[in-house]
Amino acid sequence: MKRVISSSIFVALITTIITGCSMFAKESSSKDLAEPIPVEREQLTEKETSAPKISNEENCGVQATGPSGEPLLTKECKLVITVLGQGVAPVNTVSPAQAYGLAKRAAIADGYRLIAEKVKGVRVEGNDLIKNMMVKQSTIRTCVDAVIKNANVTETTFKDGLCEVEMEIVVSHSQFAQ
Amino acid sequence: MRSRNGNRSISLSICSIIFFSSLALNAGEYLISYRYVVKDAILYNESLSVAKAMKRCDGIPQAAIELETNSSSDLKKIITENSDEFIDYIHKLGMHVKHSDITMNAQYKSTTILTLKTTCFKVDFNDNFARIIPLK
Repeated sequence: MKRVISSSIFVALITTIITGCSMFAKESSSKDLAEPIPVEREQLTEKETSAPKISNEENCGVQATGPSGEPLLTKECKLVITVLGQGVAPVNTVSPAQAYGLAKRAAIADGYRLIAEKVKGVRVEGNDLIKNMMVKQSTIRTCVDAVIKNANVTETTFKDGLCEVEMEIVVSHSQFAQ
Repeated sequence: MRSRNGNRSISLSICSIIFFSSLALNAGEYLISYRYVVKDAILYNESLSVAKAMKRCDGIPQAAIELETNSSSDLKKIITENSDEFIDYIHKLGMHVKHSDITMNAQYKSTTILTLKTTCFKVDFNDNFARIIPLK
């Protein structure tokens, strides 16, 4: 009798453990599927807004586009390059106004850099050190060198110590004709 | 009659000479340079240098800016009082952008330097305004 009772208890324990594990497994799998999606979406939207935009100037008749769909610079049409520069206020500021001023300047510099990257191009240099079939050190260096004239700040926002500056520049064919 | 007319023209020319010489005395040429460094999206260092030119500058006048002087003839003081307006104007003249970044073992560091190379500016001081004209 005792054996029967103990065996039934043992069976019951095992079944509860198995059902519990299966429920936990279901929950975890559903969580794994549900959680990463909004993060990826957020990253996508962020990338979309901060990437430089190239468009033709208004009142432009014939619009030539490249293989990727981006408008090309032609004699007839001027290009408008819009970028979003971002800057952060330093920690040790005296007042919110000073934080805003410093963050805005940093954001403008970032905007200029983005315009320079788009107009002039970026020099990229990569270096990987592999020892015993393992990556020991990976280095990527990029540099930009340009002179930017007549860029305009169109919009400025400052929120939570981050300043975002929307800048645009009009590029004409004659500037590159030399 | 003749003598009267002649006197008038002489006095007029003297007045005009005095007027233009006073204008010339209030005008000057200055060398201005501006530079700031941004490291990892934070402003690191900013410097604006103003000095009176020791020899005459050559160049074609560009678009001018007018700043309020508050009856001062010290250009550095005038620029400091209107720094936001003047720095926005300087950006339009053409800034040299030098950026470099390094990603080492997935750690990112960046440095951006914006510079206005030493440029000669002609400055005319009036009663309430200073007219600043870059010569390039």
